[in-house]
Amino acid sequence: MANSSASHPAYLQHHFVDSDQQFDAAKMGMWVFLVNEILFFGGLFCAYIVFRAWYPELFTEAATKLNTVWGAVNTVVLIGSSLTVAMAIRSAQKNQTKGLRINLLITIVLACVFMVIKAFEYEHKFHEGIFPGAYYTYEGIEHEMAPVFFSVYYMLTGVHALHVLVGIGLMVWIYIRAGRNEFSSEYYTPVEITGLYWHLVDLIWIFLFPLLYLIE
Amino acid sequence: MSAHAHEHHISTPLQLWAVGLALTFLTVVTVVVSMFVPIPAPFDIITALSIALIKAFLVAAFFMNLYWDVKFNAMLLIGAVLFFILMVCVTLLDTMYRVEVVPSF
Repeated sequence: MANSSASHPAYLQHHFVDSDQQFDAAKMGMWVFLVNEILFFGGLFCAYIVFRAWYPELFTEAATKLNTVWGAVNTVVLIGSSLTVAMAIRSAQKNQTKGLRINLLITIVLACVFMVIKAFEYEHKFHEGIFPGAYYTYEGIEHEMAPVFFSVYYMLTGVHALHVLVGIGLMVWIYIRAGRNEFSSEYYTPVEITGLYWHLVDLIWIFLFPLLYLIE
Repeated sequence: MSAHAHEHHISTPLQLWAVGLALTFLTVVTVVVSMFVPIPAPFDIITALSIALIKAFLVAAFFMNLYWDVKFNAMLLIGAVLFFILMVCVTLLDTMYRVEVVPSF
């Protein structure tokens, strides 16, 4: 072991053979977690499919209460944040700590913009009495199953928004660590892994947007 | 295995911006199609979801780097999608063939 300590970087855990193995193991672990996330959201998507198959006319009618323009704006905001995360990873790979921090900062700002728009959308609905489940009091939709649509809507977008909040927290953490110069082309695993998580949040929204907002 | 058996792929800014712009363009296309092009019942959803699938492929392949990554990670993603489809199919086998949709509802 004595001869290996000289070439042993601080970030390399002793149970890994080398940095590559550690990086690949971490990345695969994240993908296994993302599989879990996909199936977790999958349950909610499954509920959406079941209810839409039962009450297609309800979905057509109730979806008019969702603002397509704000949904589209939020889609573009999330795509932009995915782009800046990818740029942040590139900066880390290129040893550009400043670029890494700037891209992370833009990502955090875009994620906050997404949350603010979402909050305004929710606020507008609450104001009209559109609450999930038993708390639903809005009378503008004829269909008797109207609360069901909005329960599905609030669960899907709510759990997604929770993921965005977690993502903001992770990004702030990476931003602080980048400020301490902890990342370089040799070691940027946390940046890569957080990026994967953020792209998945974007992926989920890519499907949520047409399924909820674009029903004609 | 040598020290650098495989170099990590580094995308150029041009590649990343191209993917970002393609995703934005496809978003605009979905919105415009859904608002101004009347497509009969099942095909409007099929169109919207097809565009969403193309977008998802772009994100997974070029933002999540699966295109350059070890194939095992892509297999995990495909596996997750297949199991999701299985879950939906088994559920629909129940819900689509009930006499009463939801008893007591």
